[in-house]
Amino acid sequence: MTDAKQAIFAAIRKTLPAPAPAPTIAAELSQLRARINATRPDRVSGPADEVFLERVQSPGVAATAERINSFDEFPAAVMRYAVRHNLGLDIALQPHPDLATLNWSGCQTHDHIGTDETLAVGLALGGIAETGSLIFHSSQISPTLFAFLPLHHIVAIPYKNIWPWMEDYVASFAGKSPPRNVNFVTGASGTTDIEGALVRGAHGPGWLHIVVVGSPGL
Amino acid sequence: MNAFQGRVTAALADPTLKTAIDRTTNTARSKRAAAIAAWPEFAQARELGRDMKDHVIANMEYYLTMFEANAVKTGAKIHWARTGQEACEIVVGICKAAKAKSVTRSKSMLGEEIGLPHALEAAGIERVETDLAEHIIQLAGETPSHIIWPALHKTREQVGELFRAHHTDPGELATVEEMVSSARRNLREKFMAADVGISGANFLIADTGAICTVTNEGNAELTTTPPRVHIVTAGIEKLVPSMVEAMTMLRLLVRSATGAELTQYTTFHAGPKQPGDVDGPEEFHIVLVDAGRTTMLAEGLAEMLRCLRCGACMNHCVVYRQIGGHAYGATYPGPMGSVITPSLDGLETSQDLPRACTLNGQCHEVCPVAIPLPTLIRGWRTKAWVQGYEPLHTAWALRIWEFFALRPVLYQLASNLALRIMPLFAKGGWISKMPLAGGWTRYRDMPIPQGGSFLAQYKKRQAAK
Ligand code: SF4
Repeated sequence: MTDAKQAIFAAIRKTLPAPAPAPTIAAELSQLRARINATRPDRVSGPADEVFLERVQSPGVAATAERINSFDEFPAAVMRYAVRHNLGLDIALQPHPDLATLNWSGCQTHDHIGTDETLAVGLALGGIAETGSLIFHSSQISPTLFAFLPLHHIVAIPYKNIWPWMEDYVASFAGKSPPRNVNFVTGASGTTDIEGALVRGAHGPGWLHIVVVGSPGL
Repeated sequence: MNAFQGRVTAALADPTLKTAIDRTTNTARSKRAAAIAAWPEFAQARELGRDMKDHVIANMEYYLTMFEANAVKTGAKIHWARTGQEACEIVVGICKAAKAKSVTRSKSMLGEEIGLPHALEAAGIERVETDLAEHIIQLAGETPSHIIWPALHKTREQVGELFRAHHTDPGELATVEEMVSSARRNLREKFMAADVGISGANFLIADTGAICTVTNEGNAELTTTPPRVHIVTAGIEKLVPSMVEAMTMLRLLVRSATGAELTQYTTFHAGPKQPGDVDGPEEFHIVLVDAGRTTMLAEGLAEMLRCLRCGACMNHCVVYRQIGGHAYGATYPGPMGSVITPSLDGLETSQDLPRACTLNGQCHEVCPVAIPLPTLIRGWRTKAWVQGYEPLHTAWALRIWEFFALRPVLYQLASNLALRIMPLFAKGGWISKMPLAGGWTRYRDMPIPQGGSFLAQYKKRQAAK
């Protein structure tokens, strides 16, 4: 133990007793956890994918969104967006195998992200209905900077990977070793640092467009 | 006039400060109110947040040990610092070992508390603040005046002037949008060129060893991903048992801070770049800092260690909203600062802070982890009295008041006399000048007392029953 660590632990011990046995602490913690459900804002009353679509377009999150029937339709959705926003079709395409197999003819794609990238297209690991958040786990097929450097970010998300509550997402990965970064992305970048006025596109993307792929009925 | 009174006088005389404070805190209060109104379970969540934090603080040694073991498994290197100075030395040491020329920093109040900006500069390392507000105050050569909106004291006109003087190609800067976009352009390359990125941590996740940052701008991830080294400085009280508890805390923190349900970017950072990862730092250091936390524990301020640094208490504080953050002369302003600063800096030098409070209880009511701020503030006042720090005139005034308060007949006589005399100084229903009340009337008028004294009115009502 380093000196500093030892000194800090000794200072804690001066006020607090030695730690209780682990099972006692765990029992206390599980009592606390049992109270969580009753404190969650009552938000997720319908199917998670529908609530998610509504939340991401709510004024608080303020992303744009649409739903497509199958993943094959994604490139067309991207092109429609680009035309709507007057963007060229030079796309930073997240190096995900599922994206690479789509038909991107009509666009120019590259698999890395530049400092001043205009348009990046990606695939989220999942989403959270309660908050309208996208989730990314950093990896070889999901570099972190894709969600932060572009001005416009278009993200596909399979409807099946939408968890109702934040805790449901956490439960799905409990006990697994974490990736370097877990990013919850909830809307486009914004700041209220000058006189409290909200401005989008502070450092991260100024526009976030979400494309939910598939639906339970299909 | 002492230093605190001097700062307060200057703040009250500043023609733009009040406008600037109002613009941000009014919005913050109404947004928070709307978010809480839309969350009927808030009261229960607040109690749960309080109990979760108390559980962690009571078992701090256990969770710190767990956090360290798990963080090491992710490849993080853990450092311990007893004091702010020790923490700064560790950070500067890591930067030097990495031969860092330039460092990007994502806002962290702990960093401000321990004097990290200064330590980096003293070591000759270029420091780039990436949070927009921190960028503004770095250009202005100032310190934060609020823990969520550090540049809240600046008007848009003042920000415009700063950017015009310091930015390359700032453009027109006629609107806030243009100012934000100029900062975006000017900081872009700096993010990518930095050798080291430094962040704080909102939460330390004990069961995974990850640390959590929250931002709305996305600057934390741009600070921590491109450089070769990521350094985290975090107070040892930032622990939560797992991500599950972090979710409860996030619901409380974000709504209380900005009125949003979640920040745009909530990120859990665990260790350096992993095999196959395309981006991320090669080294990941976590500096766990005591700097007075264990002293607070020993001084009976354990409840203060629950603090999530949401800023709600200052947005709702009638004193903060008049004088702003700089008048407090410390890293942490407002009600939470008035509790923390005497512990960090010593009561003798900061005894004015607990006195700059009306004890109206608003801060306690809005605090998302139910910290009894007025009680803790009163505790400092008692200590100041016991230790004889009370200024002579206050002590005498209190003694005189005590003399009368213990003699009800005299007390009533005196208050009735005051009720008769005060209207003599009034003009148009208001008193704007009166002997012995200059401290009050210099900045606001006093209404003429209406009706009889409290006791007289009380007696009348009882008799009418
Ligand atoms: S004391 Fe409470 S209200 Fe004030 S910053 Fe801390 S958590 Fe927020």
